[in-house]
Amino acid sequence: MTHHIRKSIKALSLAAAAALLLMPLSAMAQTAPTQSSASGGDRWLHVRVVSTDNKGETVRVNVPLELAEKVLPAINKDRLHNGKITIDRGEMGEIDCRALFNALKDTKDGEFVTVQAHDSDVKVAKQGGYMLVHVVEKRWTEGKDGKETKDAKSTEKSHIEVKVPMKVVEALFSGGKDELDVLAALRALSAHGGDTELVSVKDEENTVRVWLDSKSSAD
Amino acid sequence: MILAKLALGAVGTLAFATVYTFREGTIRVDVDEHRAGGSHVHFWVPAAAVPAALHFVPDDKLQQAVERSDEFMPVALAVVDGLKKYPDAEFVRVDSEDEHVRVSVKDGKIYVDVQDHGDDVHVAVPVSTIKDVLQNIADRKHAQ
Repeated sequence: MTHHIRKSIKALSLAAAAALLLMPLSAMAQTAPTQSSASGGDRWLHVRVVSTDNKGETVRVNVPLELAEKVLPAINKDRLHNGKITIDRGEMGEIDCRALFNALKDTKDGEFVTVQAHDSDVKVAKQGGYMLVHVVEKRWTEGKDGKETKDAKSTEKSHIEVKVPMKVVEALFSGGKDELDVLAALRALSAHGGDTELVSVKDEENTVRVWLDSKSSAD
Repeated sequence: MILAKLALGAVGTLAFATVYTFREGTIRVDVDEHRAGGSHVHFWVPAAAVPAALHFVPDDKLQQAVERSDEFMPVALAVVDGLKKYPDAEFVRVDSEDEHVRVSVKDGKIYVDVQDHGDDVHVAVPVSTIKDVLQNIADRKHAQ
């Protein structure tokens, strides 16, 4: 009789030990598919900065938009509160960005601003539901005395391309009069389908890319 | 026979304690300064021991963290909660000729790996442990 009891206890102990040992693995196996499927449809914001100096530094930042949406309202510092940035009117001069955007959003596609200056070209346009900004900074060839020669030619000093969905810009201006609703803009960006190249900057020192896709990796 | 039973009990208890202790994973810190006189620090702590150990840390040792918790706690908790959804991801990576920095999450652990001019620092902490520490600081704040 005692032999049977001892055998049962031994078997029970072994089963309990095995269950305890396997518990973390089975828990992981149960949660893993849920986690991977949950992160599968996420939108990721990627930033890549490649420096052209001799050290060749490359910075890659990958942020899931959903995480940014959760974290942003928790940051309450300086001008950023509840996902909104308060704008100092003085900084904007006399430009009413909201009025400017309201005027732009209902108009047909086209180029709205074209500035061709000596040292830079600027274009602002609306096309296919996107706001496009194109800036080229120019460098002119100089003579020995440091002055530009008569037949001076310009080369690109820096090239900036910005492509933002109109809905994101609209969301950005959806807050109060003197504030930018960054959280609403992030949500609009998150809802925006497809891969989008948002910002591209190329100058003598750095190449910067900011884009949106569904991959967690920037490579 | 009695000795065998005692041994079985001891082994069973040890196995149970080991499984319980390592269930939460480990915190790992490796520091290697590859130069003359450089220090080499390697240690790991069972993550399950941290919440228990925190209860024995005197209030004054965590006072600064508790005082400043209003500033960082909401952000830290939001990040830690949000990270649960990303069990395997690389958030930051910096590579240059002699510097490499990587901040990533894998299998529920945050990894910070830094290689700077021959010095190596590698830290791995389970996300759940960070949440336990934050919770402990929040509890102390409420208790004040």
